[in-house]
Formats: sequence, structure tokens, C-alpha cells
Amino acid sequence: MSTAIAEATADRPAVAVLPLAITAVGVATPAGLGLEALGRAVGDGIPGHAEEVLGDETPPPRPVRTVPDLRTAELIGRKGVRHLDRTTQLGLVACRLALDAQAEPMGERTGVVLGTSTGSIRSSSEYSMETLRQERPYLVNPSLFPNTVMNCAAGQIAIRHGLRGVNATLAGGHLAGVQALRYARNALRQGHADRLLVGGVEEFSAQGAWGWHRSGALDAEAPVGEGAAVLVVEPQAAALAAGRPALARVLACETGFAPRDGLAEGLASVVGTALRRSGKIPGEVTTVSLGCTGRTGLDRVEERALGLALGGALPGQTVRVKETVGECFSADGVLQIAAVLGLWQHEGRTRGGTAVVTSLSGDGLVGCAVIDMADPLG
Amino acid sequence: MPEPGARRVVITGLGAVSSAGIGVADFTASIRAGRRTTSPIAGFDTTGFPHTHAGEVHDFDPGAWLRRIEPARWGRSAQFAASAARLAVADADLTASALAGARSGSVMGTTSGESAVIEELVSQWAADGLKSLDGDRVGAVPAGRIAAAVNSELGLSGEALTLATACSASNYALGYAYDMVASGEADYMLAGGADSLNRWAHAGFYRLGALAEEICRPFDADRSGILTAEGGVALLVEPYDRAVARGARIYAEVLGYSVNCDAKHMVHPDPASIAECIRSAHRSAGVTPEDIDYICAHGTGTRTNDATEVAAAREVFGDRIPPISSIKSMIGHTMGAASGFGALICCMALYEGFLPPTAGVERVDPALGPGVDPVAGAARPAGPRVVQNHGFAFGGNNAITILGRAS
Amino acid sequence: MSADTTILTAEQDSQLREIILEVLELDQAELTDTSSFIDDHDADSLLAIEILARIEKDLGVTIPQDALIEMGNLDGVRAVVTRSLGAGTDA
Repeated sequence: MSTAIAEATADRPAVAVLPLAITAVGVATPAGLGLEALGRAVGDGIPGHAEEVLGDETPPPRPVRTVPDLRTAELIGRKGVRHLDRTTQLGLVACRLALDAQAEPMGERTGVVLGTSTGSIRSSSEYSMETLRQERPYLVNPSLFPNTVMNCAAGQIAIRHGLRGVNATLAGGHLAGVQALRYARNALRQGHADRLLVGGVEEFSAQGAWGWHRSGALDAEAPVGEGAAVLVVEPQAAALAAGRPALARVLACETGFAPRDGLAEGLASVVGTALRRSGKIPGEVTTVSLGCTGRTGLDRVEERALGLALGGALPGQTVRVKETVGECFSADGVLQIAAVLGLWQHEGRTRGGTAVVTSLSGDGLVGCAVIDMADPLG
Repeated sequence: MPEPGARRVVITGLGAVSSAGIGVADFTASIRAGRRTTSPIAGFDTTGFPHTHAGEVHDFDPGAWLRRIEPARWGRSAQFAASAARLAVADADLTASALAGARSGSVMGTTSGESAVIEELVSQWAADGLKSLDGDRVGAVPAGRIAAAVNSELGLSGEALTLATACSASNYALGYAYDMVASGEADYMLAGGADSLNRWAHAGFYRLGALAEEICRPFDADRSGILTAEGGVALLVEPYDRAVARGARIYAEVLGYSVNCDAKHMVHPDPASIAECIRSAHRSAGVTPEDIDYICAHGTGTRTNDATEVAAAREVFGDRIPPISSIKSMIGHTMGAASGFGALICCMALYEGFLPPTAGVERVDPALGPGVDPVAGAARPAGPRVVQNHGFAFGGNNAITILGRAS
Repeated sequence: MSADTTILTAEQDSQLREIILEVLELDQAELTDTSSFIDDHDADSLLAIEILARIEKDLGVTIPQDALIEMGNLDGVRAVVTRSLGAGTDA
């Protein structure tokens, strides 16, 4: 290795983490609509709504968690809703709730960063099924075609709210939340938008539930869930300048990739990096929000990684949002954050919270976001 | 403009898996010759479809290209992406240990993710119900596995991000890789995209009236639509200083990019919004319209796209629209990989000195207005210095990258 | 167009009406023979294609895509469908 390359290798991360202010939250979960309902359910251990979403197919025999009432007519409108699949409706409802929680309307230099895994697997697989079932394979409904494309929900959110900033859809699965926040921070830094709606969405469908059921990736008693969560974020300095109060700050969002036999060490490593880049020490962490509850084998990997990173036992407050909402795949990450914020509100906490939010995929992706309430929040 | 202290970013390795060949040399030779490599579809049963041509990668053998990951565990798009990434690293003359030992990651774009895996499962559903889904195959469905396959194949420990912004996704990916390398978050990024041919998109595009019968002829008066296609593409992105220090061949410098959203309609692009995206990309790259020597068009071959794209270019360039061509005329619309293939051919155009052609143009559509030069036929020798690469998508997701000849 | 010998049955005609009402989300009274899908009923080209697609599927006819421009109101749809029925039920 030449000296020049050795020097180049030595240039470790120089970028200071740009803190983001979370100024509003919109959630649609099996606890109901809104952050308060989620915070109460998580705080008081109230299980989420457990009825299946009706479709043409029967879901597998296992517990489910679904959003009880999307109130679409009231929150999205009546016209043009007919073609929107449940993924898009969940995303639109969560955005509506987030926007309604704002004092003033968002400008058109607002963008959207939305996490998914496959888009609506019900929409794409049903569309594919239609090509097999129809007398001629092309006798499909053209108006449903956009639903089969993964960026449908983000596009509809932009159209319905006139948001012309960056519009990104990330197929991150369980990592989508932390990836979306990382992507958002960079997009804000680059000026692709002034403010962003950062979210994750996952719908319940028989197709998806059978997929989980057959994959063996969930414990037998782990419910398949659904939900959407959207955070309104902007650079903390911009929120302060505009006098917009923040619910919390997003500090570091780190991701990495580990070999399958080194997932715990890989996750511990990104948690450590995330804390360092956030200027935090393990002793300051008050809360961890787990992403692997109910995921066979991975739940123990996650807890071991946190033990490694935090130097021993988990902190006093351990949030397991999936006990309320079920397995929400690409909505998990942002729901884990929303659950912390909802819980902090529910318990009346106004200062001093620092949360580590972990994400893990059996494929090797590991991620961690750090959220805090450090004052002054402005 | 780049942030103060930002590093210059260059592209030093190229990998392609496409109907026009595997590897950048075969791909480039095919494109330069203006060869059309779309063909009758073999990948799925086309019975009952009036239009049956596509840009398929026939007889793709992932085992011939992949060294670490086991192809059977992954979907076709992941195989395309990982193979293209492996080829890009070899092309960059970078050792596995040098890459894996640095802060290296991947960012890949896609439209339909692992659509071929989803259709495998749909056929199981059709035959025996959802209860018969193959659990192992279900594990290959998440689109995020496209970037995960790249990291697994190359042993990378950095970010593995899959962007699902449909048909402009690779340009989003290249823009993101540029930011990560420029800001010092990463030292090497594999940027690109992958998609697989599938029935549902073929049916959907046909139903929209957007699918050509046999030939995709962008900018031609008689163009009749797109041809669906598949493939994988990867570009190795690294800091300029590092590339120079290791004596790497530099294909091109990434000068800047822009992304925005029409926020108007899911399937109809908006010329004013695209024009704004072009202007913003120029600002990002620190160039003016006069500096642009060539536009690698989104150029799908639908009447709407080409008219919108030319109108947007006219708004920015006035009557001096640079030569503007579409490689989709040869390989079809590779969806999430499309703007990645565009970026790849832009690199080769800058490095070897030519303008990529549009195949099949017999008469430039007069309705597009004067001064449209689609570089008809075969590649034209030229010395482009700054080029612009277009990607537009469902949902009004526009992304434009600006590349410059290495200096 | 007037030279067609085929005419729509009452059932086919009401099928066409129903399809249009459903796709454009209209009440019975809003749709007249000549009210414009685009100007009067906020349709876009995707919805126009959906009307064409639904007619092909439900009536078992094949309609060439370039007939879309004629299908701007109910009378236009009737004319195109009449012609397509006259041309045979399949291409």
C-alpha cells in the first residue's frame, strides 16, 4: 500500500452530525390514529386492534394487529380514493395527521422520504395474478398499475400535498426507518428540500401474512401487524430560527453490514459509532427501542448487541412497540421512534431522554438511530 | 455547489449485465454499433399478449460471475446487481481486500425489486393457494436484498441502501453515492440498479398503451412506446485523490446532480418541473447550459415522454439543444437500472470520445420542433467534456446527474 | 361512423353508462350524452384508458388504443364500441 493510500484510508469520518428537529409526528397504528393513542398503548400495555383486514384471501391462522379505522373519507377525501391501495392510504393518513399537527402549512420545498420493502405486496401480486386469471393476460386495470410500483405512496403524498422537494422511496425493510433518516439528513444538507416528511409504511394483507407465516421468520405467537408513521423533520437550526418547537432531536443514524455469523457484533459496532457521533456515552442512554421483538433468533441477537454496546444490562426503559402493533416490517423503524416519543409524552417527560433505536435484518443489515430530548429544544 | 471541503468524486469501474452483453466492453461495443438487442421474450409465457418483445438477458448464468454468494438464495435482480458490482470492481482493478478494508458500501436503484421472485410465488398461489408459498423463496422477496447482495458478494461492511424511486432510481443512487463519497462518509460506493422482466409490468404497460410492438424508436415520428427490459449495472465511485493515488483509470468525474418531484400526476411527466431539475443539476455541478455537450435521454419512446423531455430541454437550452439520444432504442427500458446504464454509457462517451446513438430513427418527429439531434444510427465520434444523464419516473420522481471528462 | 349496421342493445348501452359512472365516480344525473369526461368530469388520460379497458373486459370487444381520442364523452364511446362490435369481437 502506498503512503498516499494509507493517508487516504486514515481520513476517518469528518462530518459532524447535523441534528434534525422532529416538529410533528403522524401515526396510524393498531392502537388507533395519532401519537397519543400509541403512547398510551405502549405505556399501559394495551394490545392493538386484532381483527384481520378483509380481502379476497383468508390470512393464515396466527395473531394479527391492524389499524382499526383509517377514517379515509375525512382524512384523505372521497374522490380518487377508489384506486389507492392500503399502503398508500396508510401513508396518506399518517402524513395528514403529521401535517395537521403543524401550526402552519408546509411549503412546496418540502419533500418525502418513505420506507418500504416491496411496496404493497398485495397490489403487485394481485396484478400479476390478474395476468394469469383473465381471459387475455393484458385485461388488467390500468388505474391500478401505479400501485404495483414501490414509489406509489410517496408520489401520491407529494401530489395530494403539493410537495415538490426530493421524493424518495427506500426499500429498506426492517432498516427502512434508520435509512430514511440518514437519507433525509443528507437531502436536507444538500438542499434538496427545506423540510421532510420521513416515514415508513406497511399494510396488512393475506399475501404478506402468509409470507411471514411460511418463512418461519416470526415466533408462532408473534402477530403480523401494520401501520404507518411519519416524522416532520428539518435541521434543528432551521427549526430554532423559525421558532418551531421540537418534540425531540434525531442525532446520529448509522448503518452497516455484517456477516450472518457476526450480526450482534456488527449491530453493537454501529450502536457504538452512533453514540460517539451523537456525542453521547452509554451511561446517558435512558431508553432503548427494540426492532426484533418476535423475530425468531434475532430478538436475542439484538439484546446481546445492545449489551455489548452499552456495557451490560439494558437501561431502565425498554420499548417493545411490536407488542402493540405487531410485525410492521418497513414501518418498524419509524414506529420504534414514534413509540418512544409517544411514551415520553404519555409519562409527561419533558427533558433528559436519550433513546437508542436499533434495526437488524437477517440479511446482514444493521442500523441504529439516536434520539434525544436534550434542552434547549427551542 | 459542493459543500466547502467536499472531496472530488470520480467513477473508476463499470459493470453491466444486459441484453447488450455482460461487462462494460461488450455493452459499449454493442451500443456504439447501434445494435438492437431486444428480442422475443423467453422469460415468461407470452401467450395472449399482442406484444411479445423485450430487452431480456437470455441464458444469464449468475454462477459464472458471482464468487461469494450462492445464487439460489437470491432473486434475479439481486443476482444482476451483485454480478454487475463484481464486474465493476474487477474493471476498477481494485483488490477485494482493498475494497472491503475501506469504508465501502452500495446504493442500488430499482422499480419492481424482486418481481421475478414475486411472480414465482404468485404461480404457487395460483396453483395451490397462499398456504403453499415456498417459505425460503419468500425470504428472497424484499427489494432491499438488491443492495444487500452487493455487500454480501463483495464483503462490504458499509451502507447497503436500495432506492425504490422507480425508473430514475439509479440516478438517485449515483447522486447519493456522490454525496457519501464527497462528504467523507464513505470511501468507495457501488452505485447502480437492477430490475427483472415480469408479466405484470408487461401487462400494465401494454394496458396503458405504452408498449411498442417490436421496436422502440425514441424521437421518431412513428414511435409507439417502450419495450420492457431487465439487467443490472454498477459504477464504482471513489474520491478523486484516492483514484489518482492508486493509479486508477478515471472514466469520469461526477460533477453534480439534482432530484425533485412534479407533485402533479403519477404517470404524466411535467416539463416545467423537469426543466427546473435540469437547472438545479447545472447549479449543483457549477456548469451552464452552454457547457453541456450531450444529453443521455430518459427517452422511453412513448409519445408523451419524448415530447415532454424535449420541451423541458428546450426551456433550458433554447434552440441549442445538445445532441440527445436514447439507449433504450437498443436495450429497451431497464426500469430501475435505466439511468444507471445511461450513466455508464456517459462515462464511456467521455472516456472514449463518442456520442451514443439512438437506433431506429427514420424520421425525427417534426412535432418535437427544430434542432433535435438524436444521433441516429450508430455512435458519432466526438469529444464531449460535460454530459447530462436523465432519469424520470412514475410518481414524478426526476433525477439528473452531470458527469465530466476526467481532468 | 353512421354507416355501421350494428347498434348497441339497451343492455350494452346501460353497461357502458355504468362503467363510465363507476370509473369517473359520477352520479347518474351528472353524465349526459355529450358531457366531456375531461372538461366536465375531471378525468385524466389514465381514467380514459380505464374506461376503454373496462369496456374491453366487460363487453368482450377489442378497441384500438388510438380510438381513445374519440372516447371523450358518452356518445363518442357509443360510436367507438358500435364500430368495434361491428368489426367482430376479437382481433
